[in-house]
Amino acid sequence: MAQLEGVLSRRPISRSRRRSRTFYAFISPWLIGFVLFAVFPLAFGFAISLTNYDGLNLFNLNFVGLRNYTTAFQDPNVAHTFKRTLVWTALNTPIWLVLSLLMAIIANRKVKGIGLFRTLFYLPSVIPAVGLVWTWKILLEQNFGLLNAILDYFRPGIAVGWLTNQAMYGVTAMAVWSGLGAGMIVFLAGLQGVPDELVEAARIDGANSFRVFWHITLPMMTPVIFFQVVMGLISAFQQLTIPWLATTNSSIGVPPRSIYLYMINVYQQIFGVGRFGYGMALLWLLIAAILLLTLAVFRTQRYWVYSEAGEQA
Amino acid sequence: MNTLSSIEKPRAASAKALKRLSPFLSYGLLVVVTLLLLVPIIWLLITSLKQNIEYLSYPIVFLPAVPQWNNYAQVFAPVYNFLRHAGMTTVLAAAYSTLCVLTSALSGYAFARYRDVKATRRLFGIIIALLLIPSIVTMIPSFMIFAKLRLTGTYWPWILWGLGASPYHIFLFRQFFLSFPKELEDAAEVDGCTPFGTFWRIFLPNAKAALATSFIINFMWVWGDWLTPRIYLRADNTTLAVLINTVFVNPQGQLLTTLTISGIVIYTLPIVVIFFLSQRYILKGMVTSGLAGR
Repeated sequence: MAQLEGVLSRRPISRSRRRSRTFYAFISPWLIGFVLFAVFPLAFGFAISLTNYDGLNLFNLNFVGLRNYTTAFQDPNVAHTFKRTLVWTALNTPIWLVLSLLMAIIANRKVKGIGLFRTLFYLPSVIPAVGLVWTWKILLEQNFGLLNAILDYFRPGIAVGWLTNQAMYGVTAMAVWSGLGAGMIVFLAGLQGVPDELVEAARIDGANSFRVFWHITLPMMTPVIFFQVVMGLISAFQQLTIPWLATTNSSIGVPPRSIYLYMINVYQQIFGVGRFGYGMALLWLLIAAILLLTLAVFRTQRYWVYSEAGEQA
Repeated sequence: MNTLSSIEKPRAASAKALKRLSPFLSYGLLVVVTLLLLVPIIWLLITSLKQNIEYLSYPIVFLPAVPQWNNYAQVFAPVYNFLRHAGMTTVLAAAYSTLCVLTSALSGYAFARYRDVKATRRLFGIIIALLLIPSIVTMIPSFMIFAKLRLTGTYWPWILWGLGASPYHIFLFRQFFLSFPKELEDAAEVDGCTPFGTFWRIFLPNAKAALATSFIINFMWVWGDWLTPRIYLRADNTTLAVLINTVFVNPQGQLLTTLTISGIVIYTLPIVVIFFLSQRYILKGMVTSGLAGR
């Protein structure tokens, strides 16, 4: 009997060990890639951030400790770019959130041919960054753009510099336009997850559309909104491509001060001036900032995000 | 009670009227929003048919005097190398996507079907965390490593990234493979399939929708990415996204805006067409993974 038990209990162990081995074999491409292309570069970047590495000269390479980090905190350029990034984030995320939620509500109507409209709503999000930027360059160009031509009709000679001194607003417009479709489909999925019984019950109790939205739909959507806020903040903090391409001529030169975002400065420090060590320190500070921000947003979660009682446990 | 019913009545009447009107209101709203969203695209198409002089005139010319269809032929003129770079971009995107789809499917399969292995949950937590880490923070230090290995200026980084799978696509495949019945695995095992054989011959052929979704999203990412080729590649082997910004100049070196715009239309068109043909699948993929874009 004891022997039989031993056999029975040994077999599952060897089977689970075999399965565990297979599991690791299957995920090994990702695991190796993760170590080589994420963990190692991050550690390497951190090591570089403690030196004065300039990308070329290994003979002058010196260990400088945390000096790059202390420099960053005193660098007026970093302060400027960080403030601009905060403005950019504060402008982009709420506008994008509200407009894509509105679009999702409009697209959630159950009428014939709604599929076509949803596709068209999503279309701007499909256009790659370079296509997006050129599409908007010819709209926002100071002298030859469509927007100023229309504004000129009402206020002659207005010529707003949407891509120069007012670039914060011009680039926000294009970034929001490009993100609306992507935001919409996530909200749409969220809206379709709101139980019909709840909406029906509220209607029978005499609630009008607005009150149903405010007291039923919106609270039920808070987990989705929360998710979108987190993703929106993270992507706003690391924005580089769109402002860079939109405000430089043929991708030569640097963006104007009004839209000189944090990542633009990092890119410029590394690839423009060759301050690799300093750039890596700035990059690590960005990671820290994004982490802190994400944690802060997660902290607010319990005050406004709806969760099923059972999920809490 | 009395006051309540007196309020109710007019509201019911207006609600009824509203209900009759509501399809028209819906369509009106939908059409207005669509038009507002599409104005930039319409202006893009109009501008692509202008002469450069028409674009540079003040006050602006709304419509071209004669539509310059020739702009589209000009884009392919040999001096600009547009077609050559389009070919290279396609090869690069297809190679990366194929590799990334296969490795991500394999990992996603493991995460979905080997949940009895203890480490699965913790490792999957890493995948989720990776979705939140901005790709840009690993991309720049990676550049320094690839430069040391003398792999910058080549397509090798994309090949290696493809072999290393992508957390986003692993997530996508995991969600997809979770829905398969347990019996499928058991039957395969009884029939003597190896673990890899079960994945390759049973699960993968049944995952065509996820494979297509993942491939298309990957392809669109490489095609649209500007920063990575800008940093990693040389002018003569870079992708269209980089080339197109600077290539359309006249012999004096001045940028030809309307020609660039025609180029942008041609560059964007394949992506839009792929999207229209496959939107049913890729939108679903983006929603289930809860992440739009990459």
